[in-house]
Amino acid sequence: MSQAFDIAVVGGGILGCATALRLAEGGMNAIVIEKSDLGQGASGVNAGTLSLQIKRVKLMPYALRGWAKWQAMGAAIGFHQTGGISLAFNQREADLLQERMTMKAEAGAPITLISGRDARAREPGLSDRVVAASWCPQDGHANSSLTGQYYRHQLRDARIAIREHCPVTKIDQTDRGFVLHGYGETIHARRLLLACGGWLKGVAALLGVDLPVRARVNTVSVTERGPRIMNTVVGHATGLLTMKQKTNGTVLIGGGWQGRGSPMNGRGLVDRDTLIPNLCLAQYAVPEIARLRVLRSWTGFEAHVPDFNPLAGALPGTKNAFVLGCVRGGYTIGPYISELMGDLILGRDPEMPLFDPSRPFDIETATRRIL
Amino acid sequence: MQHRPRIQKGVSRAATVRFVIDGIELDAPAGESLAAALMAAGIGTIRHGPMDGQPRSVFCLIGLCQECLVEIDGMQIEACRVNVSAGMQVNRLRPMDPIKP
Amino acid sequence: MTYDLAVIGAGPAGASATIEAAKAGLDTVLIDEQRAAGGQVWRAKGPAIKAAPATPEGKTGDRLRAALAAVTADRHFSARVWDIERHTDGFRISAISPTGALTIETRAVLLAGGAQERVFAVPGWTLPGVIGLGAATALMKEQLVLPGNRVIVAGVGPLLSFVAHEIIRNGGKVAAVVDLNPLSVWLRCLPDLIGSPGLLVRGAWWRLRLWAAGVAYFHECGIRSIEGDRAVSRVTIGAVDANWCPLGAATQTYDADAVCLGHGLAPATEASRLLGADHQYDGGQGGWKPVTDDVGRTTVPGLFVAGDGAGVQGAAAAQLQGRISALAIAEDLGLLTTREWRRRSAPLILRIGKAQRFGRAMTALTIPRPGLIEAIAPDTLVCRCEGLSRHDIEAEIRAGANWPNAIKSGTRCGMGPCGGRYCTETVTELACRITGKTPGEFGIPTARPPLRPVPIGCLSGEFDYDDLPIPPPAPL
Ligand SMILES: Cc1cc2nc3c(=O)[nH]c(=O)nc-3n(C[C@H](O)[C@H](O)[C@H](O)COP(=O)(O)OP(=O)(O)OC[C@H]3O[C@@H](n4cnc5c(N)ncnc54)[C@H](O)[C@@H]3O)c2cc1C
Ligand SMILES: Cc1cc2nc3c(=O)[nH]c(=O)nc-3n(C[C@H](O)[C@H](O)[C@H](O)COP(=O)(O)OP(=O)(O)OC[C@H]3O[C@@H](n4cnc5c(N)ncnc54)[C@H](O)[C@@H]3O)c2cc1C
Ligand code: FES
Repeated sequence: MSQAFDIAVVGGGILGCATALRLAEGGMNAIVIEKSDLGQGASGVNAGTLSLQIKRVKLMPYALRGWAKWQAMGAAIGFHQTGGISLAFNQREADLLQERMTMKAEAGAPITLISGRDARAREPGLSDRVVAASWCPQDGHANSSLTGQYYRHQLRDARIAIREHCPVTKIDQTDRGFVLHGYGETIHARRLLLACGGWLKGVAALLGVDLPVRARVNTVSVTERGPRIMNTVVGHATGLLTMKQKTNGTVLIGGGWQGRGSPMNGRGLVDRDTLIPNLCLAQYAVPEIARLRVLRSWTGFEAHVPDFNPLAGALPGTKNAFVLGCVRGGYTIGPYISELMGDLILGRDPEMPLFDPSRPFDIETATRRIL
Repeated sequence: MQHRPRIQKGVSRAATVRFVIDGIELDAPAGESLAAALMAAGIGTIRHGPMDGQPRSVFCLIGLCQECLVEIDGMQIEACRVNVSAGMQVNRLRPMDPIKP
Repeated sequence: MTYDLAVIGAGPAGASATIEAAKAGLDTVLIDEQRAAGGQVWRAKGPAIKAAPATPEGKTGDRLRAALAAVTADRHFSARVWDIERHTDGFRISAISPTGALTIETRAVLLAGGAQERVFAVPGWTLPGVIGLGAATALMKEQLVLPGNRVIVAGVGPLLSFVAHEIIRNGGKVAAVVDLNPLSVWLRCLPDLIGSPGLLVRGAWWRLRLWAAGVAYFHECGIRSIEGDRAVSRVTIGAVDANWCPLGAATQTYDADAVCLGHGLAPATEASRLLGADHQYDGGQGGWKPVTDDVGRTTVPGLFVAGDGAGVQGAAAAQLQGRISALAIAEDLGLLTTREWRRRSAPLILRIGKAQRFGRAMTALTIPRPGLIEAIAPDTLVCRCEGLSRHDIEAEIRAGANWPNAIKSGTRCGMGPCGGRYCTETVTELACRITGKTPGEFGIPTARPPLRPVPIGCLSGEFDYDDLPIPPPAPL
């Protein structure tokens, strides 16, 4: 006779794990069910950039409030506050930078616009083609590879049950809650939280719910160790570059260039046609990087809905079921928004408003926007 | 480290050229792999383990293990995949400096 | 232009395949990161060598290179393939060659990348002076340099006596050969070897010469530790049991300045895994290998594998497999009639059985046993690149990281520049011991490009900033 959990969290990424922790704090008996290993989805393969400069204006308050969480996690997750610089290489980009960073500063981020020369003074490895830049002392990075390890320890300490390598393939609703079927396992739970990232659409469909979730296939690359060539997080006016050198000397290059594949029909693949321009852009920003060798490029699935705002609230039309996902910059904002989500499920008043998944979506405009 | 013997019996090699590693001048037949030339010259440590700081040297000799990494013309490259040429300047890798706060 | 076939690897499998494919009329291109064809076993001498006494491997290699030179096929040497993608109806291959970046489009791909050496850690194995057994063959064949002045040759498998023999034949000194296997395993596989008398006689000859030269050859014996200040100076050995586990106290300590150490070969599967082909674990063929049919067809349409990369079976089998795969590809592409395929492949198929039996018997001698792990001290480094000890890895596994990717993410084991080539096997054995999984259940980490480290400057080449296809920014 299997025991019933107060809540089953489907998805062991940062959002699922951090919410489970909040729920356990609030007295719930939780289980996290993960189809592969904890933190092997987006949360474990992302570029680890904790940059306010690339956060959406609407999500800035969440990123700002969540900052203390990263400081608290500290070394266990490889947290470093280094400051960050976003670059413009021509007038068009300078205008774009000014427009975007001004709005982000108004939303509370300590971002200032600086000259190309000031940027080079802060980061001597930058190319002399920088015409304008923005600076945010609060930017930094963490080591996303450690997500799984970190939360595995946290969940264990909080006595939260974990099932890894257990993909949920069927969910039955009963009058007492939910019965989840996974890899030879049957799990009973009174409540359900879907936090399965890029796979949300398929898992929600198990309950007959159609979520307008799509997945982007973001590419990240890492170089071999090299001599120190940069100290800050270097970005681009468009947001299509994030780059930092880790303490071990490797340089991580991201920016959301698109690979191929989709969560539902298998794995994501690196596309040479986007990888190379991504690396060119990195080299254009910090020319010294040309000397380093790339060791590995990979992809991860980042979920979004047409308005690019999070899904955080009750799962439409399903009692006692919730969904959390599609948070842009969800690694940075994850620990904080997950606490809000936990509070909502615990019946408390979240400190900040959440994002009702039942809101209407204008799918047509959104499609045009991402194309 | 003791020098590694070049096989002599019945073997003839290209003319010797001089190259430099960290300021030390060494001679080797032109076209010999740098890894072999360093072994023949008795250079034991090619680099230090990046995490443990212990001496390391050639291990696989086919360009996979990366233990023989050196710097030539500013590029990091496997010594077992480079041929010695006259005047070649080789530097061993320096340990990493820590990140600035 | 689009080739019919791109062959990656110019060893026995790839070079033979290229010759066969060219003769069958396929537009073929051959790519290898070495300077010349020959692969690991028949590698060509380096450019510093102007003349040297002929060896059997050298002669076979020269014949193969001459045959290759006589056919019409494009070839790129010193070119490292770093990516292969499925592309329109075929594949797109990216390589870095001395003249720059290379892109090749092709309808079919034959992976003939061979094997990689498997070396399990022993205390002291990271000291300068310790090299792989295969590394020693490369050093002696290509550079004509000896691995040391007093060498310990240790591990398992047929390369032990070959390496020891090559050292003494070339005037060097072998302090001892240390073989984990008992002599009886050789006798037990005799029936599989009889079918290839030439190879059998050579193997026996190496042993005889070692014996005549007075080289100590210890069976059922393993290295306990390698010591030295900044380089190898002493090696301690001791007896092992049938599982290769250390038995009793160490027996001997040798003064030595080099160790050649190896525990067999494993198929190099990075390219077939990158392309998403199904793989299976077969300890008798070196571990993880792509699932193929008799002619080397993988589960990915148009993708074939031949040679050691399809399961370690040795050079003789590799050569035949390469030719058979080339013919099968020609038939699949409609460039050879089924009748002609049968006519040309039948004699090869007839011969391959014996070669495979021999090769598999050799590989079976090297199937990992628990003693390989037993011999690793808690503080011995397992991951050379990231400096991780056996203790570090086991602590991570005990903390609940029970699968390859989880161990890798938590510890960085396998994330270093060697791409996990020299630690994955050890981690697999350590994890299986703790979790009770089999290597097949445990799995293998995900393969990703680049297949070899590539300088960013080579990938970016000359470019104009305004030509970079930078997409529009994300919504504010
Ligand atoms: C390549 C890349 C780079 C990024 N860079 C950054 C960055 O630099 N900074 C930043 O702030 N954000 C970044 N992001 C975004 C951020 O990583 C994500 O927003 C965040 O990690 C999402 O967390 P999640 O828990 O929702 O998803 P995930 O981490 O993907 O977790 C979902 C989990 O659900 C599991 N799952 C799916 N289906 C099932 C099932 N049926 N049963 C059980 N489990 C299931 C999956 O295996 C997965 O582990 C990046 C994203 C990607 C992909
Ligand atoms: C280091 C080593 C030494 C060995 N020494 C011996 C020996 O002395 N005697 C013996 O009997 N057997 C030896 N073997 C085993 C021997 O390799 C095989 O039995 C036989 O050579 C297999 O032939 P093959 O054609 O399958 O592969 P190989 O001969 O290994 O040929 C594979 C070729 O592919 C090329 N290649 C692989 N990946 C790429 C890439 N990404 N880009 C470009 N080129 C690539 C390699 O350069 C290589 O030339 C050795 C194996 C290794 C790994
Ligand atoms: S010795 Fe392994 S890469 Fe050179």
